[in-house]
Amino acid sequence: MSASSESPVGKTGRVSRHGAIRPGRLGEVLVPIRGGIESFLARDADGGEIAAGEEVVVVDVVAAREVIVTRLYEQEPAA
Amino acid sequence: MSPDLILILALVIGIPIVIAILFKTLWRVPRADEALIITGFGVKGAPARRAEIELGPDGQPTPQGVAAGKTFRIITGGGAFVVPVLQKAQYLTLRADAAELEVTGVDKQKIPVGVRGVAIFKVGDDDVSITNAATRFLDEAGGQMHSLVKEVFHGHLRSIIGGLSVESLIANRNELAQETRDASVQEMQKLGLVVDSLQIQDIIDPTGYIAALGEPRTAEVKMLARIAQANADREATEREQEAAALKAAAERDTAIKLAAFQAERDRAMAQTAQAGPLADAEARKQVVVQETEVADLEAQREEKRLETTVKKPADAEAYRIRVEAVGQREARVELAEASKREVELKAEADARRVQLDATAQAKRTREVGEAEAAATAAKGDAEGSSIRARGLAEAEAIAKRAEALEKESDAVIGQQLAEQLPQIVEAAAKSFSNVDNLTVLNGAQGIGEIMNQVIGQAGPALELARQALGSNGNGRAREPKEASGN
Repeated sequence: MSASSESPVGKTGRVSRHGAIRPGRLGEVLVPIRGGIESFLARDADGGEIAAGEEVVVVDVVAAREVIVTRLYEQEPAA
Repeated sequence: MSPDLILILALVIGIPIVIAILFKTLWRVPRADEALIITGFGVKGAPARRAEIELGPDGQPTPQGVAAGKTFRIITGGGAFVVPVLQKAQYLTLRADAAELEVTGVDKQKIPVGVRGVAIFKVGDDDVSITNAATRFLDEAGGQMHSLVKEVFHGHLRSIIGGLSVESLIANRNELAQETRDASVQEMQKLGLVVDSLQIQDIIDPTGYIAALGEPRTAEVKMLARIAQANADREATEREQEAAALKAAAERDTAIKLAAFQAERDRAMAQTAQAGPLADAEARKQVVVQETEVADLEAQREEKRLETTVKKPADAEAYRIRVEAVGQREARVELAEASKREVELKAEADARRVQLDATAQAKRTREVGEAEAAATAAKGDAEGSSIRARGLAEAEAIAKRAEALEKESDAVIGQQLAEQLPQIVEAAAKSFSNVDNLTVLNGAQGIGEIMNQVIGQAGPALELARQALGSNGNGRAREPKEASGN
């Protein structure tokens, strides 16, 4: 199997600094994959907002570089 | 060596070499930034991967599924045998590329504005992206990918600029980059590309609008800068001047001290220089002092000598003269006193003789006077009878006249006094008429006293006369007449 077919599903990542997820706007998440870190366009599974810097988990891949994510923690760790 | 042995040896050495050459030509390995795309025999629809085709919720195959059904193999990071002739191996670069973007357009307010930026992109590392990119750009040398990306970004940038104002463009370059990225996501996905970075480097301002926007603030800041600089300059100058003043003061103090030290040094030098002459002078002074003392002693000696040779004899001579003079004077005094005594005794004798003469003469005069008084008394009685008779006759006349002139009695009295004064004086002098020889013992003073007595008797007599005349009017004129008769 080639390394290029590795799927990001199930991996945890982090919302990039300028890529906060909002309804109607694709955010950007950085996901460790294939030994490096790649950026994916991301959409919240619940259609909500995820602020920059929050940890997320990839739950689905909808396009080559577009994934569905959800918060890794139900509440923000700080809260 | 036998030919067999050589053959065996050649085979032993040659076969591995041949195998290695074959392997080298058949086994292809992509570099880290490349993907090896193998097309041709035996790669179409690998059974294991075909089974991985997944259907999405809408019944369409998912991208993974699509990729799995592709008709070529994608090798990244590993290696693969490529069968010559039957298979073809090509490399797709995954290297990042930078596309320079430069767009000019108009903003929301129709102000011409341009944007210059750079987009860094690469082919995505996953199978789908590689497949998409491979089907589009595999034969290209990268030039087409570059221009395509540029076109995509230019179009999006232009439309985004048109929706923003210059001010917000300047203020939010990140926003511009983000929006551009969001807008181009779909196209880039189709091309199998990932945008690693999109940077807006510059806002181009062909009309000077932005520069003009900044002018007031620039001018203000420049003004403040100039003010600050001027203040700093002034303060620095003040400090410099203060420092210069302090420095001058310090220099002055130093100069004063130096001068003082120099003066002290000069003084010391001068003293040192004068020490020799001073010592000489001192020595000479000592000599002079000694000489003076010698001269004094000589003078004293001379004085003593003169005293013995001149003064003593002179004193003796003077004493002799003085004693002689005293003797002469005493002799003369004795002589004078003797003659004085002689004169005194002679005077006393004279006085005694005069006194005896006077006594004798007085006695004789008294006896003559008593005799004459008796004669006069007898003659007075006779005259008194006649005067009384004549007075009685006159009294009556006077009484008559007094009655007439009662008020002017003083005038009458005065008149009568004037008429009778010669007679009164004559009466008073009459007492002296009998004296032949009047000897006055105390000279001129004695004569004065006698005259005073005569005139003094005339005064009371005058008063008596006045009373007698005044009382004439009262009819008592006889009593004074009788008194005067006694």
